Amino acid sequence: MAYHSPYRAPPHMNAPPDQGFLWNIFQRVDKDRSGVISDSELQQALSNGTWTPFNPVTVRSIISMFDRENKGGVNFNEFAGVWKYITDWQNIFRTYDRDNSGFIDKNELKQALTGFGYRLSDQFYGTLIDKFDRQRKGQVAFDDFIQCCIVLQRLTDVFRRYDTDQDGWIQVSYEQYLSMVFNIV
Amino acid sequence: MSFNYGQGYPGGGNPPPSAQYGGNYGAYGAPPSAPYSGAPGPTGGPYGAYGVPGQGGQYGHGPGGPPGGSYGGYGGQAYGGPHASAGNIPPGVNPEAYQWFQSVDTDRSGFINLKELKQALVNSNWSAFNDETCLMMINIFDKTRSGRIDLFGFSALWDFMQRWRAIFQQHDRDRSGCISGMELQQALAQMGYNLSPQFSETVVQRFTVRGMRPGIQLDRFIQVCTQLQSMTQVFRERDTAMTGNIRISYEDFLSGAITRLM
Repeated sequence: MAYHSPYRAPPHMNAPPDQGFLWNIFQRVDKDRSGVISDSELQQALSNGTWTPFNPVTVRSIISMFDRENKGGVNFNEFAGVWKYITDWQNIFRTYDRDNSGFIDKNELKQALTGFGYRLSDQFYGTLIDKFDRQRKGQVAFDDFIQCCIVLQRLTDVFRRYDTDQDGWIQVSYEQYLSMVFNIV
Repeated sequence: MSFNYGQGYPGGGNPPPSAQYGGNYGAYGAPPSAPYSGAPGPTGGPYGAYGVPGQGGQYGHGPGGPPGGSYGGYGGQAYGGPHASAGNIPPGVNPEAYQWFQSVDTDRSGFINLKELKQALVNSNWSAFNDETCLMMINIFDKTRSGRIDLFGFSALWDFMQRWRAIFQQHDRDRSGCISGMELQQALAQMGYNLSPQFSETVVQRFTVRGMRPGIQLDRFIQVCTQLQSMTQVFRERDTAMTGNIRISYEDFLSGAITRLM
């Protein structure tokens, strides 16, 4: 079966950082002092370790995850969640990026996702690399790795809802199919 | 039942707009062609109306766009429009797109990146296009997969956008700059999609900005329609018996969405 225990969220491996520390960071990132960190403010603050701008789609995904009122950004309370989410991913990424290159290759990606519970074919890992390797290096950078995992998780969640007998196959109508994929756009 | 995309453009002899850039953009190049545009008959099959009655002539080329025939690509065919004599615009490049390209490509790199593209594309209320739609368009028109587009790609993108803008304006009946769920439903129906009003409502709710009245602007409209087209294609490839239902495995489901959705 394809997805016995897919990955839900990064494991909680860090103790929460103290509020003063986070407040300092929040203020530095919130450049316009609006009290809300926007996509572009967060993007500028984040590094993917390769001297290229952080994937804006990843930024949007992360912010929308924590932005409870759909205001287009995160306030200080929500930022604590964002911070933790990103540092947890960073720790995971580092364990697979053994040479500290800032990239993980197809094998490392496979190890990581297998560790999360995914059972996917080699061919499919090729598809993933092809899709999420924004820098065209045959490898995936940190920001793209996060996006890859977010997308996989969302698709898996929606598939699961239809796969009630858990056999890895679903039967859906045209409109059901569109609704499934549009929910995760 | 076979699908012949050409039939969606009863103008006759006009290549579908996707041909304008060598056809390499596949389904994306032809915004208004309904996913099932080729099938005859208004009611055939589980997807409802396949044809796009009366649309071909209207959308075969964008309003104000070059007359039929000038989409023939770059193979030395001169641009046939009124600006043909303008300066050093390369053949096949839309003059308006050319001017925008020059003003947006501030670093004169010959390429437009995401940030520069956002400066070129605006909704009716002059708000910039959202990142996702811009990235989607870069992905479609970036032939080098370098995350940026050259003048030719931008010109194709420009035509693509003008055609969508015309459809958008046609369905934005109250000229609010926003399309409501009901207006989206009508637009999709006219394009040949047979989807429930509930579907359009859900999509609109999904993209409505908080504090604004429910509706989607041009950028989301383009994103939704393009992805609808693309995902319908994925579905259709798997629905070989044309029953309107597919049985799909987990990995195939993932692949279809990941390779074609974003």
